[in-house]
Amino acid sequence: MVNGTNSAAAIAMHGITKLYGELRAVDDFSLDVASGTIFGLLGPNGAGKTTLIRILTTLLRPTSGAAFVEGRNVLTEGKEVRRLIGVVPQENNLDRYLTARENLILHARMHGMAPVDYNPRIDELFELIGLAGRQHDFPDTFSGGMQRRLVVARALVHNPRVLFLDEPTTGLDPQSRRAVWEYIASLKAKMTIFLTTHFMDEADVLCDRILIMDHGRALVDGTAAELKERFAHAHIYEVEFRRNADRYEAMLRNLPYVESAERSGNLFRLTLAGEEALKTLMDELGSADIRKICLREPSLEDVFIALTGRTVRD
Amino acid sequence: MLVLRRSLFSEFLAVVAYPLTLYLAFGVGLKGYIADVEGLPYPVFIAPGLITMTAVNAAFDESAWSMWFHRRVQRTIEEYRVTPITVYDIVVGKILCGFSHGIIKGVVVTGVIFLFTPFRFTLLHLLIYLVFITLGSMIFSCLGTIVGTTINKPENIGRIQAVVIVPLIFMSGIFFPLSSYPAALVPVVKLLPTTAAFDGARQALLHGAFPPGYAANLVITATVVFVLAVAIFNRKMSE
Ligand SMILES: Nc1ncnc2c1ncn2[C@@H]1O[C@H](COP(=O)(O)OP(=O)(O)O)[C@@H](O)[C@H]1O
Ligand SMILES: [Mg+2]
Repeated sequence: MVNGTNSAAAIAMHGITKLYGELRAVDDFSLDVASGTIFGLLGPNGAGKTTLIRILTTLLRPTSGAAFVEGRNVLTEGKEVRRLIGVVPQENNLDRYLTARENLILHARMHGMAPVDYNPRIDELFELIGLAGRQHDFPDTFSGGMQRRLVVARALVHNPRVLFLDEPTTGLDPQSRRAVWEYIASLKAKMTIFLTTHFMDEADVLCDRILIMDHGRALVDGTAAELKERFAHAHIYEVEFRRNADRYEAMLRNLPYVESAERSGNLFRLTLAGEEALKTLMDELGSADIRKICLREPSLEDVFIALTGRTVRD
Repeated sequence: MLVLRRSLFSEFLAVVAYPLTLYLAFGVGLKGYIADVEGLPYPVFIAPGLITMTAVNAAFDESAWSMWFHRRVQRTIEEYRVTPITVYDIVVGKILCGFSHGIIKGVVVTGVIFLFTPFRFTLLHLLIYLVFITLGSMIFSCLGTIVGTTINKPENIGRIQAVVIVPLIFMSGIFFPLSSYPAALVPVVKLLPTTAAFDGARQALLHGAFPPGYAANLVITATVVFVLAVAIFNRKMSE
């Protein structure tokens, strides 16, 4: 499956590097995504996710390296690549002077579709996203979730083979997120889906394969279960204090064997260097202010924090 | 185009109001104070220029603002760019769109001036005039495209208009004859593409003349700015 010459790879990248001046936004990145996969690219802000999508969708030239979509070179066969892909950018880019339906029609026409082909397809998509009744309204009058669904529908008008979604649910309320998830899940098996996200639960629910990246590099790659399994040996504890949490926070951040400490209120989630570190830690903290301490099953979020040293949400 | 149709009435008013105001202010208001210019009543002297100005300004505005808006605000250019159409299709489409705005608005203003003023011309003159207004709109549409492609801050688009476009237009003899310039300056002013557009257009509409020097100037300028606009857009998009 992870094989550069595999013809089943919907997406292939070899040694992609992108420099913005001095900054290495993407650093010698290689990847193959098998056809039919829902692939999730996970990383904190500034990790290089959008840069990768922009390279794969022919919007940006890499500084070096090669990239292929359905076997076509994004640098030399851009037009062919664009015929095969659907793109949902990080920021909605609907035309606010066109109605919802006109937005989709314009897209269909740029793909060279004839009205007999695109009209039924667009009807079907509006039914699917539940906006059939609003198709003659302007996108300005839509909620964020509706606009997002419309952008996804627009990317599907021409039946792409590979769908790119850059943070499809960022900024949406929980119901809208769920609606977008269901919608994406319903596309599975019809096409390859490449999505980036901030959200662990999103990757966990949707993706067959997850890659965590930071600073332009891949850190780990596998199914959600595999990633959690790899970190099953991680020593993650939850410690809750009765009082003086601020003082303890300062202390925790200075202990060499505490690899990461994430605080929410009086509760800290700690990744320790090893099992033996727990005893040292207990000695250090004393028991006076501790309300509870327990071992945690690693979540995808823990995997992420352990790898990137930061939480996902800014 | 669709969008244009939708806002037709408000557009119509906006388009017609400005040249008509100028016409009334300068042409009618000052009529008593200004003697005939080059043997023509002043309102007649300035009318062709007002039409040309409407057309080229419309072409410039539409191209510059629409390019800027679609690139920076709506980011719809990015949506266009992930479909099979090419960067060339996009920029040529934008140029033509600005160009047609120019022509449409020019025609509208011509109609209005014809209806509401005693200004008259023959069909032949009008056809020759169209050559000039077409080339002028093309040039200004390309210039607008270049400005809309390279400038990110909207206030700077307005500045370019105030510092470059408006002076170029006013220097070209729209409100006064070129003979008002010191003799040494006349050849220089005559080389300006805006002079070619405005003075050429006036000669065409009023006298049915077809000044070949002006026409050649416009064709060359149009070609150069077109190639520039396409190249600059292409370069901007591959950043
Ligand atoms: N046009 C640009 N010019 C300079 N730096 C950029 C540009 N676009 C992105 N970057 C930088 O590249 C890095 C990766 O950005 P991006 O790919 O947008 O990350 P992500 O989508 O994962 O948040 C960030 O540090 C960002 O600041
Ligand atoms: Mg991003």
